[in-house]
Amino acid sequence: MRTLVVLVPLFPVAAGVIVGAAGWRALTAWVGPLAAAIVTGAGVVLAVGVLDDGPVTALDRLLRADALSAYMIIVIGSVALVATSYGVGYVRAELEHGHTTARRARIYGVLVQGFIAAMLTAVLADNLGVLWVAVEATTIATAFLVGHRRTRASLEASWKYVVIGSVGVALAFLGTVLVYFASRHAGGDAEASLNWSTLVTLAPSLDPGVVRLALGLLVVGYGTKIGLAPMHTWLPDAHSQAPAPVSALMSGVLLSVAFYALLRYKVIADAALGTGYVRGLLVAGALLSLAVAASLLLAQRDYKRMLAYSSIEHMGLVALGVAIGTPLAVGAALLHILGHGIGKAVLFCSSGEILHVTGTTEIAGVRGLLVRQPFLGGIFGLGVLALLGLPPFSLFASELAIARAGVADGMGWAVGVAFVLVFVIFAAMVGHAQRMLLGEPDVADVDGPSRRMSTTSAVPLVVGMAALALLGVSIWPIERLLEAAARVVTG
Amino acid sequence: MSETLFVQLLDLAVGLVLVCAFVVLWRRGLGAIVHALTVQGVALAAVAFLLGVHEEHAELIGAAALVLVLKGVVLPRVLLRIIRDSDETREVEPFVNVTASLLAAAGLTLLAYATSRDVVALDPGPETSAIPIGIAVALIGFFVLATRRKAVTQIVGFLLLDNGIALVAFLATAGVPLIVELGVALDVLLAVFILQVLTTRMRAKFGVTDLNQLRELRD
Amino acid sequence: MSVAGLAAAVCQTALVVVVAPFVVGLMRWVRARLEGRAGPPLTQPWRDIRKQMAKERIVPATASWVFTLAPLVLVATAVVATGIVPFLTTRSGLDEIGDLFALVYMLLLGTVFLALAGLDPGTAFGGMGSSREMTIAAVAEPTILVAIFALSVTAGSSNLSAIVTSTLDHPSTVASPETMLAFAALAVVTLAETGRLPVDNPSTHLELTMIHEAMILEYSGPDLALVELAAHMRLVVFLGLLSNLFVPWGIATTTHPLELLAAAGAVCAKIAVLGIVIATFEVFVAKVRLFRVPELLAASFVLAFLAVTASFYLA
Repeated sequence: MRTLVVLVPLFPVAAGVIVGAAGWRALTAWVGPLAAAIVTGAGVVLAVGVLDDGPVTALDRLLRADALSAYMIIVIGSVALVATSYGVGYVRAELEHGHTTARRARIYGVLVQGFIAAMLTAVLADNLGVLWVAVEATTIATAFLVGHRRTRASLEASWKYVVIGSVGVALAFLGTVLVYFASRHAGGDAEASLNWSTLVTLAPSLDPGVVRLALGLLVVGYGTKIGLAPMHTWLPDAHSQAPAPVSALMSGVLLSVAFYALLRYKVIADAALGTGYVRGLLVAGALLSLAVAASLLLAQRDYKRMLAYSSIEHMGLVALGVAIGTPLAVGAALLHILGHGIGKAVLFCSSGEILHVTGTTEIAGVRGLLVRQPFLGGIFGLGVLALLGLPPFSLFASELAIARAGVADGMGWAVGVAFVLVFVIFAAMVGHAQRMLLGEPDVADVDGPSRRMSTTSAVPLVVGMAALALLGVSIWPIERLLEAAARVVTG
Repeated sequence: MSETLFVQLLDLAVGLVLVCAFVVLWRRGLGAIVHALTVQGVALAAVAFLLGVHEEHAELIGAAALVLVLKGVVLPRVLLRIIRDSDETREVEPFVNVTASLLAAAGLTLLAYATSRDVVALDPGPETSAIPIGIAVALIGFFVLATRRKAVTQIVGFLLLDNGIALVAFLATAGVPLIVELGVALDVLLAVFILQVLTTRMRAKFGVTDLNQLRELRD
Repeated sequence: MSVAGLAAAVCQTALVVVVAPFVVGLMRWVRARLEGRAGPPLTQPWRDIRKQMAKERIVPATASWVFTLAPLVLVATAVVATGIVPFLTTRSGLDEIGDLFALVYMLLLGTVFLALAGLDPGTAFGGMGSSREMTIAAVAEPTILVAIFALSVTAGSSNLSAIVTSTLDHPSTVASPETMLAFAALAVVTLAETGRLPVDNPSTHLELTMIHEAMILEYSGPDLALVELAAHMRLVVFLGLLSNLFVPWGIATTTHPLELLAAAGAVCAKIAVLGIVIATFEVFVAKVRLFRVPELLAASFVLAFLAVTASFYLA
């Protein structure tokens, strides 16, 4: 078990090394998806292990896996599986059309694996400093991926992404330092004071003033990476400019990994300050994010940006769930993370495919997709429905559970405001999707059979949607894990 | 080293860190700004070294050496190379003029003192009472990021922010554990390298490194 | 207030009056040598003053009593200022009024009168000089206040002699950040207030760039001599303040004549060194554009401000 904890981040590293050494070829392209599959499997094994025997630590307590970590590994692994398998076909198409070169494809392969490894390290770190380093490493790994296209717009997006992301995370580091300071004064020794497991036991004796300041900085800092308003400004740019599989990973899991960091701190802060402080910050962030997403989705003209704003919306919903803070709400928020991850990955991947077909990211440039590309249009349409929280997909279940938990816990007003905004978003997205999917395509635009989606690209998307639907029908495979993970957060 | 001498040298080094932040705000020449940042890096290393000697903490002296190499040598070189490649040597009119920025920075210093009262109160002493200065430097870095529009000055703002936080870390807890310190140093280094590459690409695309050019993506 | 103390105060005022033109002469000479010129003798400023004194007094037809009064006020405030700054001894008879605020307002009074006198005849250059001078004074005077205030926080008193005594008692405070910041701030303000480079060029003949010279363009004869003497004295007041606040060693702590004599030697040496440093500095810098002067002064204000915060929080 202990070795497995160390090995998990090493699988993508190994995949990255192979791609780096051998280049992006027909065979090595599949190393990434293979690593993602192994990681998912390892996540399941870890989950079973920690559910039966409790948390495991490794590497002199730098790493630690409990139910929450195992759950996040499964989320990262499964979203990475969808995104990287789609990526195989995506990069092949890019190479064929001359949009990228073999050298850039190789760099792409290495960076994507490095990115996944950094996220896995983040969710496995017990030392909160290591967690911080891993989160900042995700920014570094993805910076060039955002700028992959090397156009003016992608350059702008990557500059904003690196600067805003790094600055935000720097604030989180200041918060981390202050937590360490408080922990040293509460009697922690130098080595273990920054370990989450130690901090949880020390939490009641931490100085409230310092923890309050630290948590403020941490919420702003990691909130920047999560994309909570008003720190969200980089997000639509970066997610719309990155190549589709990278957008899928960034939107699907990177945001959630940053949220995971906040979950860890919430446990400490709730014990040191009571639940009110973090709840207030999160509710404010959640409602503001929903409001920003709603207002900017209404008149959105770019479908990749539309998906990015939808990510802000869903992070807002997760924040609302975590703010409510009952086991039901936190479990629902965690389920929402998984559902949103897979759904958004499928949608971003199909948006990449739409871009290949139409050559534009303008909503107005896409007409009659269901006639031109029935399969692609169908997947995209279903994905949008899933993200809007319609049954049978799992986001329906999680949104409903968050609402119920909120009303039960006396946060009905926040839930009410949130769901009014969700309804506005619903209307806006349905309108945009309908314009893209329905209607008569221009005759000149009708594509030949050569533009059909390849099977390698199609399979991951279908599998992803199927998994999402299955989870919506029943969560029994992960029910115990979800409960245990929620207990880690609620204490 | 006697206690008073230690306190005095420490205060001196910490004061120098803050003054360098103000010099960055004050000067327009990009070269001068980078030099101020270099001096600040050296002063930061001196703080770590003094604390390490005072508390007889070998790890901290190692951290001081790391800071000296990274912030006193490597990062300034990267920045100077960006400036040399771009033949733009001055910060053109910032969004907030220099006089106003200086006065705003004075206000930020007060804000730093106000916000860090709880931190100082937890463990009063010569080290902790200087923590507000670290926070002030971080705030000034933030201010530089928000109001300057050259690529280089934005990187400088980011590094000021980072130096301020590092100062807080040294003063508050005698530095974070070494493994974290190494990770942080690596992250900062890579981030600056990335920004350097992006600046080069920006110059190739736009001809200048004025961030006002970045206004294509908006809703 | 003892008789000896009063005598000491008179001695130090007399000393400053006599020495001030020589300091200016020294600075001009050093600058000339460094620029490769032979340079005027050290006595040149005194000779100028004597010559001006003997000349006829001409008052512009449009000028009012302010114009006539200004040189007298300027000299009077300079004399009082030299009396209250601890040049020779910390036990001067004027010690009780030797307060930080008194000093700053005394200097400001002179500045204001000179600026009024520049405006009074209604000439273009005079008004321009006055407006520039007031722009500078508006930032420079608060900076002096705040900088010395930082020192007085450490000393626990705003009395200048008390500050000097406290520095003598605790020599280590000189190396503390607040003292250094205050010194830097005061040094910049000294350059601005005494019309030196890089703020104002004392040897300029170009009316457009003048500040101090522009205000006194209309003066001639004995009036000009008084204005010049007062300007020299103000320079020495600032140099003396800088040297004795930050390097007080050599100052007498009694009013014994021998000690006073030694202190006179010490303070003259310190002022001469400072003067040479400034003159050397002036050779290497160019005048900054007028629009950048507020930036320079704002920077020095911020330094002084930081000195105060540091003296409150780091102590």
